[in-house]
Amino acid sequence: MNEVRVETTMFDTRLFRPAGPVKPGERDWPSFRGAINLAMREEMRRDPFVFQMGEDIASASPFGVTSGLVSEFGRERIRDAPCAEVAIVGAAVGAAIGGMRPIVEFQFGDFMSVAIDQLTHQAAMLRYLTGGQVRVPMVIRLPCGGGQGAGAQHSQSLYSWFAHVPGIKVVLPSTSMDAKALMKAAIRDDNPVLFFEHKQLYRTRWPVSAAFHDPDHVGEFGRAIVRREGTAISVVATLTMVHHALAAAAALAEEGISVEVIDPLTLVPFDTATVVDSVRKTGRLLVVDEAYLNFGVQAEVIATVVERAFDSLEASPRRLGNPGVPVPFAAPLQDDVLPGQARIAAAIRDLVRA
Amino acid sequence: MLALMRTMLLIRSVEAAWADAYRAEEISGIPPSLSIGHEAIAAGACAALVDGDFVFTTHRGQAAQVARGLEPRRILADLYCRRSGYNKGKSYHVTDVSRGVIGMGGIVAAQVPVAGGMALAQKMRGTDRVSLAFFGDGASNEGAVHESANLAAMWTLPLILLCENNGYCITQRDSEAIKAPSIAGRAAAYGLPGVVVDGADPLAVRDAVAEAAARARSGAGASLIEARCERLTGHLVHDPQCYRSTEELDAAWRRCPILLYGQRLESMDLLDQEGLSRLRGEVDAEVAAAVGWARAQPFPALHEAYEDIWA
Repeated sequence: MNEVRVETTMFDTRLFRPAGPVKPGERDWPSFRGAINLAMREEMRRDPFVFQMGEDIASASPFGVTSGLVSEFGRERIRDAPCAEVAIVGAAVGAAIGGMRPIVEFQFGDFMSVAIDQLTHQAAMLRYLTGGQVRVPMVIRLPCGGGQGAGAQHSQSLYSWFAHVPGIKVVLPSTSMDAKALMKAAIRDDNPVLFFEHKQLYRTRWPVSAAFHDPDHVGEFGRAIVRREGTAISVVATLTMVHHALAAAAALAEEGISVEVIDPLTLVPFDTATVVDSVRKTGRLLVVDEAYLNFGVQAEVIATVVERAFDSLEASPRRLGNPGVPVPFAAPLQDDVLPGQARIAAAIRDLVRA
Repeated sequence: MLALMRTMLLIRSVEAAWADAYRAEEISGIPPSLSIGHEAIAAGACAALVDGDFVFTTHRGQAAQVARGLEPRRILADLYCRRSGYNKGKSYHVTDVSRGVIGMGGIVAAQVPVAGGMALAQKMRGTDRVSLAFFGDGASNEGAVHESANLAAMWTLPLILLCENNGYCITQRDSEAIKAPSIAGRAAAYGLPGVVVDGADPLAVRDAVAEAAARARSGAGASLIEARCERLTGHLVHDPQCYRSTEELDAAWRRCPILLYGQRLESMDLLDQEGLSRLRGEVDAEVAAAVGWARAQPFPALHEAYEDIWA
């Protein structure tokens, strides 16, 4: 149990509490939440039709992602909204049809359940239903994920609900660099985009390339990143699990196991080619995500690979995730339910020996 | 005033044609949801709007589509699932963005939050245009309406909430679903003005919407209007309304907006019975030609099923 607990403390476990001192070596690295903030700031400067709605985003941004924006853009463009998710998402849909580019913040992504009709039936379908007459360019930012003792209704990773239905792009950034580039792409996209932000990543800091500071550097959806190259197994991981997988891969390298780690970055569109090519090379596949395993994103990735590269597989693909329980409130239980470095390493060893 | 009568007759005729097409099995799928009995609301409301205003329809949206000036033949093409329709056969909630009509109604009340968003865009873009959300008495009990009304009040949105209270949510009488004496009375709780108008009277509706639109254009914000009418046909065409007595239906038909407005125009010496018959004949001929055109249009090509998902 203690071993597992160490895994989830790899990131920030202190929900809402102020950041601790920045490590000297990370001082020049942008934080994950700062990267999203900068992307939104640049796009709001560039495009007067971009605006934001959400609860407390102007007065006291809950995770600090919108901090400082109201002083530059004012309360017309950084709109504190009443606690009314249906009206807010609907307002985003209507405003988008009316030529604006809304960004909506949900305090916890789990609350998307409250307004799911406005997303899946209105935002996602209206273009199709009108024979292509309308565009619905909008971004909904959804803080997600467990590991912070936030309880069952504030800790989920529900992207498979939305990747399942037509018309919604789904983005899962895992470092400051891709968070900024993909947020800019999301704002410029003419379709509804869900931007999932793992809460454990908000205060983490990451090294970036020079392009990070270029306001014209915009990410591309549907392009996975091979975070680490390897030959024995392909691990597809998302959000914080990317970093758990990389830590596991580094440890396994000392055992002589060469692990390739792929971060899809977007589920819709999904970079099938990069994953399939990797599996053709390694012959083995492990998919890791915090989401519930049942009918989940992990299964979809495996099915996609099996359909295309069955002959290359040297072992049955495996998946790790929440086995299908509400994310527990008590930290030891929570950490047992969610996957992490040790469980990833164990699964890799099993697969490579199979 | 005659133009309102013509609009109401055109709505009635389009609806009759759609119902006939279903009964004759020329079209399949979900039965038509007719706006027969609602004509005065759509005709009156749209007469108070201008280009650039937007309306968001219910699943009985044909009345508003006709009243906003959409071509009956293209509306019918959509109802016949043809590719020459506005929606290219992809939905019977007809949309024409160029005339400010967003066809919604597949999900009860969902159009109301979206209309609020359009009003927000109209306001943020510095226009004096307004959005109008049609919704029914059934929808008035949905959270989407309450949230949107509150948001519109808080943000002073140029939004008109126009409730078409036809007394029935499918088979349920409004008195079995709404405790309060009126839906408009809820406006006070949102901090909005609310009025009840006779939904069988296109002039009363026009005046109420004109007042709400003037308020919205001036920057004073949203309004709630409850227009009371009769649903003269079933919830959908196949519904024989067995849950309503003959006496009740007879009384409802005595409140037919076309009947009442015709009597009014006659009493004002603006339109006699002969003139009304002539007008009806013109409109019916126009719709018959529209049906002929719609029938002759091709269905969408199969590849179109896979288009228009992404912008």
